[in-house]
Amino acid sequence: MEPELAVALPAAGAVVTAALRPRPRAALLVGGALGAAGLAAILLAAPGLTSDQLGVTLSISAMNRTLLLAAAGSLALVVAFAPPRTERASLLTWGLAGIAGMAAIAVAPDLDMVILLTLAIALLHAALGGRRGLAARLRAPALAVALLGVGLVFARVEGSPLLARFAAVGLAAGLAAALGTLPYIHEFDPEELTAASPIAWIAFLGPILGLAIVTRARELVPEAAAAFGAMLIGLGLLNILWGSLASWLTEKGTSAWHYSFMADWGLVLCAFGIQVADGRAAAVLILYGILLGRLPLYLWSRQSLRERVQNDRPINLLAAAMLAGSAPFAGFAARVFLLRGATQLYWPLALVIAIGLLLWLPPSLRLGRSLGWPRGKLAVGAGIALALSVAIGIYPQPLLSLAGL
Amino acid sequence: MIVLADGRRGLALGIGLIAVGLAVLAWTTGMWLGGALLLAGGSVSIVALLRTGRQDWGLMPAGSTPRLILAAVGAVVSLWLAASVTTGPGAPLRFAVIAVLGLMAARLLQGHSAVAVLAAAAGLALALAGASALGPNDAGLAPYLLAAVIAAGATFLPVPEKRGA
Amino acid sequence: MPSIALLAPILIPLATAGLVAVCGVAGWKIDRIVLAAGSWAAILALIVLWAPVRSTQDLSLGPLGFSPLDLRLDAVGFAFTLMVMVPAAVLLTLQPRAWQEGTVAALGLAAAVFTVEAGGVLLTALAGGAAATLAVIQLDVEDPRATRPPWGMLLAAWLALSWVGTILQVRGGTAIYAAVPVSALTVPVFVLLAASALAASGLFPWRGWPAQLWGRPALRASGMAVATLYPLGFYLLVRAYELGDGHFPQFWLQAVLASLGVLVAFGAAARAQAATTRREYLGEVIPGLGGFTLMGISLGTPLGLVAGLATLAVAAVLAACLPLLPDRAGPGSLVAIAAAAGLPPGLAFGVRVIGLEATFEAGNFLGLLGVAGAATWMVSIIAAARAIGLPAGHGHPVSETVPRVAMGLAAATFIAGPALGLVLSIFAIPAQADVMPALPGVPLGGVSSVVTVSTVLPALVLFTPVLALALVAYIAAGPLAVHSEPRPALIALPAARLVARLREQLRSAAIPTKYRSLVDLHALEAAATGGGPLLWLAALVALAFAVTR
Repeated sequence: MEPELAVALPAAGAVVTAALRPRPRAALLVGGALGAAGLAAILLAAPGLTSDQLGVTLSISAMNRTLLLAAAGSLALVVAFAPPRTERASLLTWGLAGIAGMAAIAVAPDLDMVILLTLAIALLHAALGGRRGLAARLRAPALAVALLGVGLVFARVEGSPLLARFAAVGLAAGLAAALGTLPYIHEFDPEELTAASPIAWIAFLGPILGLAIVTRARELVPEAAAAFGAMLIGLGLLNILWGSLASWLTEKGTSAWHYSFMADWGLVLCAFGIQVADGRAAAVLILYGILLGRLPLYLWSRQSLRERVQNDRPINLLAAAMLAGSAPFAGFAARVFLLRGATQLYWPLALVIAIGLLLWLPPSLRLGRSLGWPRGKLAVGAGIALALSVAIGIYPQPLLSLAGL
Repeated sequence: MIVLADGRRGLALGIGLIAVGLAVLAWTTGMWLGGALLLAGGSVSIVALLRTGRQDWGLMPAGSTPRLILAAVGAVVSLWLAASVTTGPGAPLRFAVIAVLGLMAARLLQGHSAVAVLAAAAGLALALAGASALGPNDAGLAPYLLAAVIAAGATFLPVPEKRGA
Repeated sequence: MPSIALLAPILIPLATAGLVAVCGVAGWKIDRIVLAAGSWAAILALIVLWAPVRSTQDLSLGPLGFSPLDLRLDAVGFAFTLMVMVPAAVLLTLQPRAWQEGTVAALGLAAAVFTVEAGGVLLTALAGGAAATLAVIQLDVEDPRATRPPWGMLLAAWLALSWVGTILQVRGGTAIYAAVPVSALTVPVFVLLAASALAASGLFPWRGWPAQLWGRPALRASGMAVATLYPLGFYLLVRAYELGDGHFPQFWLQAVLASLGVLVAFGAAARAQAATTRREYLGEVIPGLGGFTLMGISLGTPLGLVAGLATLAVAAVLAACLPLLPDRAGPGSLVAIAAAAGLPPGLAFGVRVIGLEATFEAGNFLGLLGVAGAATWMVSIIAAARAIGLPAGHGHPVSETVPRVAMGLAAATFIAGPALGLVLSIFAIPAQADVMPALPGVPLGGVSSVVTVSTVLPALVLFTPVLALALVAYIAAGPLAVHSEPRPALIALPAARLVARLREQLRSAAIPTKYRSLVDLHALEAAATGGGPLLWLAALVALAFAVTR
């Protein structure tokens, strides 16, 4: 029953919170309780244990469960330490809806359901509204669904051996389009609400979705695994380069943050493409960093970005160090795993990645400054995010064990 | 039809054709309930399209020659892929799925109106449900149910007003 | 003593940092006492751990994920930990600082100690990277507008070391210092490790961060940064001997690094003799000693390694002395300059003699380096003599200076000169023995003399009369009256100006206006992010084409 509850409880929480919007405190209380119950269901859903309550076999893998927990933690952090003048109830609503969607993807029995769920989420996300037109909001995610669908079809039909490779192309391109990484960057309006912007795809929904597609793609086209891995690495390197340079040089601060997510996803794609245990470990750690570090810091920096406030205080430097993947933060441990995995596979790849990693610092300094001067609750939240990153960076083993690695 | 039409009636007809075609193909594979669900989803979508908004066909408006060529080429390529490149039974299903997926993707890329994009998304959902029948294992009713819900719900989505951060 | 006690030298500074933060937040003005107590307690714990046993102690605490948590305290670790902790403790005790600075300083100290006590390459990389990050933050907390080490270079250094660790794990099965197979330390791996070491300590012939930091308005964070970070690069090179079973993979690597050492020392000496203020001269002292250290360590002989370690120890003492020195002429400056320059019979003199002796004993090309080293020493002595009469500089806050302690530290290195043999026996020779076997039957040192392959240097007998004479001369000279005035450089180095001009040109390089339209970043960004179907389709076609190759 736990997989079903892992979906149902956050979904119910989202609905109730939305209904109770005129009464924000009640909305937060009830939504928080249902979300916590959903979190408990996720925790209790043992990896590999299946459930057939709805006539569909649902189960959740260890890695999916870990990322769901991270997403839930991220939501809790962001809601609890929301900037002033933020509608926390709305934030909780959208966050719980996102977690419900992610949980549904995580427990889905096959890639068909994953793709359909992605389409459903894309439609609901587009319906949120925002500064971009609906067509612009829906275009990239729906294209992703189409590409994944085509990949799925090619993977299932019989015929030339090349079909498996084309299937891999569809799945890789679909993954990039779903996330919004280069070359399928979602149209981005820097002034748009975060929940309605592409940041929701690349930073919140993306980790679970990316993991689901990569895992199932390997099962679907084992004969094209090498090609799939190579494409992921190629796309990853492209995003490392683009993301870090664009984040450094772009004029708008919000866009800089957007590109920094792409750069991190570049590392994740490389890590997934490496296809050894160290690659998966690196991917999990970087995704944790995105959910529990980069995303909350981005949300906390929005106000300072609007007011064009920059600061060079210790907390800004610590944030920059965390974003740059410097020791002792989680990003450093992830980079160690990534370099080890790349060295096992092909050492020149490790050299290229290592050179790419040097590009992280200039944009990270910029992003750290853009955090402004977090005070009160924001400072506490930032402190928690930094402390978590340090803990994971120094001792990642418990997290990796939780992820089954 | 979805590729060529801009009006609600034209889009509704397109969804209807997709739903009927995929439902028939589902029935030929023994998925009676699945086909029915696809039909139901398509029907609800048609009702939503015809209930609100300006009722016109919008078939082949000015400047739609590239779309016509796209539709024709897309159909031919899909037929070639389904009949020649890929082998095995179920060629009609393969053709339908590949054609719908490809053309809906193209519609998404070139469409600027919300209604057309939502209709294309509905078509995508129906095609994905059809694709689940291509798998070696029985996917059950879940994909059909979910696709029907998505197709039905997509065209009900309101086109929200623009708002800032 | 239970092996868990090995954590003490790391945990005590960590706890100190926490206590300082608590005191600061609570408004209790006792953070300096806490810092002092904590840092000296950590040194005491280290000595208590090492002194009774004086052999390698290990602690294994299970896997961290990317590496096992292995700690080790051997003679090398003891020597380097002392070199990091003692100057840091002196500065933390004597210099007043804000509680935020104190917290970060204590954390940085803990990280530096962890770097040295780590039992494997990856753990060293993690801790070293943390120490570098904390040093940069400390410098920024003190003054965000003043010079600080290039963070990117420090990050690159420790990232490179982490790559070395992963390569050793992949190729050799482990990155633990004591267990890495010799065959795993290939030339490319060593080059990466050496590059990491050089970048971590800023060991370049041009003016690097160890010299630039002395130009800051305040010298609290600078002193701590040099004390905690500077020895770490040398630590990596010493550990490389352990990885390579007593030698570097190829002789030419030793030659290159030793040559670089001489170049670093010469660069520092050349800049020192052209310095316009005394502060500028003092900024080149540590890099100058660092160059000789690098030369000695890289020779690949036991005597060279011993000389290198002893030189670094002198640098560590001066790293504590220089920030406490006020920017005015006086006996403190005089004694510090004399000690740093290597006037007899100081320790700096003795270690330089041993270092040069080691190059001559090594022979061939390395012997030539000894000649270059001797010439460099002469230039640095000239620079020292010139520096005595230079204007002081823009000055740093008087509250952070303690002239008597600074003079005392400098004088201590002077007075310790006759005890060179003892210093080497206690400090450097055990460390050398850990990583490099000495030639059988040839002891390196005794209490009163230093024994080398070709000679015996009776330090105690030789240096004590010189010390006595120096003391008599100092006392007889009476009160000092130094007339400061600007002095021209003795040797003009056009190459130095050329290098500075080239770096400035590189820094200000920009695409010529007429070509800027070819590299329009805005247009590129707009094209990539515009959601264009053509780009998306082209990408899809490119991917499909790629997989069919």
